[in-house]
Amino acid sequence: MGRQQGWFALILALTIASGALLANYGLQLGLDLRGGSQLTLQVMPAGAITRVDSEQLEAVKDVLERRINGLGVAESTLQAVGNDQLVLQLPGEQDPSQAARVLGSTALLEFRAQKPGTEEEMRGLLALKRQAESVLRAKRPPSVSEDPTAPPPPEPPALSPQDLSKALTSLGIEVPTGTSEVDQIELLLRETNRRILSLYGPPLITGKDLTSAGRQQQATGSGWEVTLGFNREGGEKFASLTQSIAGTGRVLGIVLDGRSISEASVGEQFKVAGITGGSASITGNFTAEEARDLEVQLRGGSLPLPVKIVEVRTVGPSLGAENIRSSLVAGLSGLVLVAVFMVAVYRLPGIVAVVALSLYALFNLAIYALIPVTLTLPGIAGFILSVGMAVDANVLIFERIKEELRGGNTLIRSIDTGFSLALSSIIDGHVTGLISCAALFFLGTGLVKGFAVTLAIGLVLSLFTALTCTRTLLRLVMSYPALRRPTYFLPSRQLPPVKSAAPQPGLA
Amino acid sequence: MTPAPSPRFRISRHRRLAWVGSLLACGLSLLGLALCWLNPSIGAPLRPGLDFTGGTQVQVERDCAPCKAITAAEIRQGLSSLDLPSPEGEIAPSLGSASVQVLDGGRSLLLRLPALEADQSKALVDGLAGKFGPLLKSGTSVNTIGPTLGSRLLRGSLISLLVSFAGIAVYISINYSGVFAFLALLCLAHDVLITCGLFAWLGLLQGIEVDSLFAVSLITVAGYSVTDTVVVYDRIREQRRTLGDLPLVDQVDVAVDATLTRSLYTSFTTLLPLVALIFFGGSTLFWFAVALTVGIAVGSWSSIGVAPTLLPVLSKR
Repeated sequence: MGRQQGWFALILALTIASGALLANYGLQLGLDLRGGSQLTLQVMPAGAITRVDSEQLEAVKDVLERRINGLGVAESTLQAVGNDQLVLQLPGEQDPSQAARVLGSTALLEFRAQKPGTEEEMRGLLALKRQAESVLRAKRPPSVSEDPTAPPPPEPPALSPQDLSKALTSLGIEVPTGTSEVDQIELLLRETNRRILSLYGPPLITGKDLTSAGRQQQATGSGWEVTLGFNREGGEKFASLTQSIAGTGRVLGIVLDGRSISEASVGEQFKVAGITGGSASITGNFTAEEARDLEVQLRGGSLPLPVKIVEVRTVGPSLGAENIRSSLVAGLSGLVLVAVFMVAVYRLPGIVAVVALSLYALFNLAIYALIPVTLTLPGIAGFILSVGMAVDANVLIFERIKEELRGGNTLIRSIDTGFSLALSSIIDGHVTGLISCAALFFLGTGLVKGFAVTLAIGLVLSLFTALTCTRTLLRLVMSYPALRRPTYFLPSRQLPPVKSAAPQPGLA
Repeated sequence: MTPAPSPRFRISRHRRLAWVGSLLACGLSLLGLALCWLNPSIGAPLRPGLDFTGGTQVQVERDCAPCKAITAAEIRQGLSSLDLPSPEGEIAPSLGSASVQVLDGGRSLLLRLPALEADQSKALVDGLAGKFGPLLKSGTSVNTIGPTLGSRLLRGSLISLLVSFAGIAVYISINYSGVFAFLALLCLAHDVLITCGLFAWLGLLQGIEVDSLFAVSLITVAGYSVTDTVVVYDRIREQRRTLGDLPLVDQVDVAVDATLTRSLYTSFTTLLPLVALIFFGGSTLFWFAVALTVGIAVGSWSSIGVAPTLLPVLSKR
């Protein structure tokens, strides 16, 4: 009897603890249930690195985390998945395009000086580039988030189709017929960029030499500029770099991810000492949004390896809410039906089972809150199935008890035998289930993993509740002589005729 | 107490019927899978969804009541005039190849496109809002899956499925015997095949696609099928002590009869929440619940009618 009371005390304690846990922590809902965006980033091997290992993944994650913090999205999480993927979750964020822009690029910033003797060629290329850029800017529909009060961009210098094709031929680009004008201009820009890069010397200063980054509106014009602060060494390098080209007409190129974003000439007055003071600004004619993106990227530092965004999922909050509501209604009504069925078929032990299964559901949810498990749709499915398994354990036990009773055993003895005989099949069923869960968890991807976790928790708990909760509660009920009637277990016509009349004395 | 070896229900008397039924269902399923594979518009045993093919799926909800009817052709026309931004040096994918579905009498639009960048999907949604709007901001869902991710997902699911099969086979071989393990896996293949077959036919006739949730449901069906079969095995093993002298056919009959109530009750109670999900559980889980319901029903059938009846045939000792 003492051991039984110990179990009962444990169950009671667990119930209270679970209730308290749930009340304090609540459940974490996945993005498919509450809306938001999820981006999966694939870290790509580059250069000498042919396989991404966990150390490099961690390094990439650090940089991305700094950038995400710079974006200021509440409650975002970044998790490593497998050896070379990162999953970023942005709850409540409906527009992942900014995050995608900021995270997707390497942000490798380089300062390079133009090679001597290339002034003529550079001037031509830059003129062509400016022209193409402004035409393209005018052609693009303005982004919605752009400030509507900003003055309209100046009328673009016309780039007639003839001029365009002449420029393309002069750069040696062959354009397939049928290419749209925008695409032609983009081809042109790509080629000019490639040529401009070839006129630069090696990178002298990189993003590593930065200590800070900021942005401000340009003093002239409507654009934005990004301000940079160098560390001591960077400041010295910047001074000597600017000194070397001051007054020569050659430009200082600022290159971001292999694209020349700004070409600045340095005035004669810096001939002596170069630009000192350890700061600089990039006036690349940015929009407010672009300037902010670049600032965040430069602050976070450049990525040690390039990343590629391989998956973007966005779920609207109303779709999520609908999912929650309908799944909850379905789950609950299913469980209520199961409860009705159990009581109808198994009578008194059916009621005990319903109590035990309610505890089972409570423990399950408490563990979700404790670990915490983020509840997703497949997770809910896993939960519902594990409830099925938990019910099965009870069915197995009660069927055995009924069999023993039909065979003429006493009530208490039937209960004990029922539990011990059902044990092996319950364990076999649960262990095979857990084997599948393990395979799914370690080898499956995102969705499958969430399913495996909730199913595994459910299986382990179901073993526990069926073998302890149901058993302890049933024994507790049996300690009241008034309830110790076989007819509370089985219709009297199924009982062996002789022994069915009197309640059985307890043997336990 | 020795249970009387006189089962009310003898499965061996019906085994030919059980075999014919299962063979017929398997044959139909194989036919469905083959037809799907031969179908030029599908080209795979099941119609693969976005999760496996990669691409972008955009769902928007229009903010209007009542909504003016709108046809897929109108939307396609509207799409072709949209200009998407493209990263430097790359050409934006054409929207002409989009597949368009109009749902709920014009309230929701579902577009399927080649994979788009985040910027491009934003431009697309903005463009749709301009042409067919206003749109409900909260009802918009955009999913983009890179082409490599789909094949990765497929591989991951298949490998985990095979490994869990192997694990289960080892466990049963140790606890029972090789023949038991073989039959459990045969049953499992039977259940998974019929579930797949149903979705192959649904894909052929209704255009239903399989997604990663379908992969999850197959794995669940597999696990459930084994659990169900093992309960019957457990009974046979337990009876060895008392009924060991009887022919195996009779032992199996007694075991199936003894576990029949449990099998039916358990399937019934597991099916209850699933059927509730089918009827009340929103569109996202509908096909998932259907796959599980069918798989579990078939699994319960095979644990009664297939694995036990084949056992005496295969273990002639």
